[in-house]
Amino acid sequence: MKKLFGIVLLTLALTLSACTNAEDSFDETKNITVYTRDTTSGTRAGFMEGVGFADAATNDSLLVQGFVIKDNTGIMTSMTTDQFGIGYVSLSSVNNTIKPLSFEGVEPTLANVINDTYGLKRPFMWMTRDASDYANETIEAIVNAFIAFLGTTDAQDIINNNGAIGLSATQSWDDIKSNHPITQQDNTGVVVRFGGSDSIQKVAEALTNSFVSKAGNFTAEHDHTGSGDAYKRTQDPAIKDTSVGKDVGFSSRYFKDSEKVGVEAMNMGQLAWDAIVAIVHKDNPLINVTAEDLKKIYEGTFETWSDLLD
Amino acid sequence: MQLNVTPTIMQNKPKNMNDKIVKIVLLSFTLLSSSFIFIVAGTILLKGITPFITQNLGLGKVSLISFLTGDTWLIGEAFQSNLYSVGFIIVSTLMIALLSLLVSFPIGVLTALFIAKVALKRLANILRTVIELLASIPSIIYGLFGAGIILNLVYNLSAAFGYQSKGGNSMLASVLVIAIMTIPTITSISEVAIRSVDKKLEEGSLALGASKTQTHFKVVLFAAKSGIFTSAILGVGRALGEATAVSLVAGGRRSGYSFDLLDTTSTLTTIMLEGMKETTGLDYDIRFSVGIVLIVVIILTNLILNWIKRKVGNVDVK
Repeated sequence: MKKLFGIVLLTLALTLSACTNAEDSFDETKNITVYTRDTTSGTRAGFMEGVGFADAATNDSLLVQGFVIKDNTGIMTSMTTDQFGIGYVSLSSVNNTIKPLSFEGVEPTLANVINDTYGLKRPFMWMTRDASDYANETIEAIVNAFIAFLGTTDAQDIINNNGAIGLSATQSWDDIKSNHPITQQDNTGVVVRFGGSDSIQKVAEALTNSFVSKAGNFTAEHDHTGSGDAYKRTQDPAIKDTSVGKDVGFSSRYFKDSEKVGVEAMNMGQLAWDAIVAIVHKDNPLINVTAEDLKKIYEGTFETWSDLLD
Repeated sequence: MQLNVTPTIMQNKPKNMNDKIVKIVLLSFTLLSSSFIFIVAGTILLKGITPFITQNLGLGKVSLISFLTGDTWLIGEAFQSNLYSVGFIIVSTLMIALLSLLVSFPIGVLTALFIAKVALKRLANILRTVIELLASIPSIIYGLFGAGIILNLVYNLSAAFGYQSKGGNSMLASVLVIAIMTIPTITSISEVAIRSVDKKLEEGSLALGASKTQTHFKVVLFAAKSGIFTSAILGVGRALGEATAVSLVAGGRRSGYSFDLLDTTSTLTTIMLEGMKETTGLDYDIRFSVGIVLIVVIILTNLILNWIKRKVGNVDVK
């Protein structure tokens, strides 16, 4: 009896999955469901600026009525369900469960980001504490060495291997390590705190993983809470000296003017680019979008898929 | 007997001392734990009021009336505008809580009745453990389940009816996730209430010729109604306060009163949570104001439900 029940269930499941597979035809008359990150997201700022809709980076009332707000993972999983949705994620999140769209005719691949043909991208920035504002001189010296390390070919290789695009570098770490004698001594037990954008966490961890062994095995502590905290936790007088204070903060957008007040130019900089990709459901026949298409979708001029596909 | 009295009297003094010390220690811990409510409420209140009484670094005061009645979370650009409002979110929060109760209450109470009265003892014990386990699962797990399974279910269901839902992100999905989360709370408390019903009432009913089913529904549930109602109050409390799980399936509605079950929605908790970690200034402070609104909504709901509970009354319960 149990076996029979199992067989019936199995056939039912197979028929059902066959049904979904059969729905290959894409109904263009359906409305476009617009997915976005919330107004504090660095990815959203990067995307909106990239498609020429910068005003909408922090303004929901400019977007099409009835948009859906999701986080990075939420947009990825939604695109596996919602045939008629469109969203955007970082290139490093893209996998084969969804369909990444070409932007202005350029495929969103790592190669195209590196050769600077793919246009939809945002900067990865770093910010440190002020000189002699560290818990001790050892930490300060390690941070300075780390910042120097970011500009080496070693660091840029790591960045490229983790889904972001490194800036051009000529020197290797071996060329400059003699400038940082701190890295030659044993730094076991020294804790350096990293934080800021969670979009950069993967890249930042890969960088410190490699750098720890190059700089006397100090401990790199990662606590990534968002781009806004890059400034707040390294420079904001009210926060930087509390328990959440950081030595190095990362941001996945350019620092705002309000965040640059009183910060020395040498205490901030760019380490990489990140590409943002517009994604749709795999059943969607769309292959390429332009900045203008995306703007029209997000502002609500294009309402149904036929507006875009014809 | 006589011999024992003397040592007792002799020990009286140090014993009193011990009692006093213990009393003071217990009192200080009680004061500490109860003072947290004032510290927490005070902080929220202080921070939550600032948007309404200060100029918010040049953005201007937030108007309390439009904050409570408006239908758009934020008109204009974040960090540049003070036109916040949560009116439509208060409505959707209450609606989600009540609709989820509509689903979870019957299921929870009937499960409780089965465990307390119908199931064999061993099965009842197993089920009770299962329910307790369910109650202790963190909300993020329910959220992941909601995002992975319920969104799909709602999307496919609405597609089958020819309606294009937004990837399943909807009020219906939020209601289902919260209902699943509140069932264990309702079940475990109702079950205790049902078990506390005086056996005599049951026996009386059976002796008068009522069947077991009649007794369970007309006598036991009726007698336990006060406790069952308490479970509903706690269920509503959990529903109103849930943030993490709902934020994964609600879809983040930012404007417009909506009573459409298949359209996106927001609750007071999700609007507080979304972007909380990445924001500053007024956009950060206003979330504390939403917190005050949430506390007031919860207190009012509790008062109303408790008033109804008193009206419903109490029957002979041990």
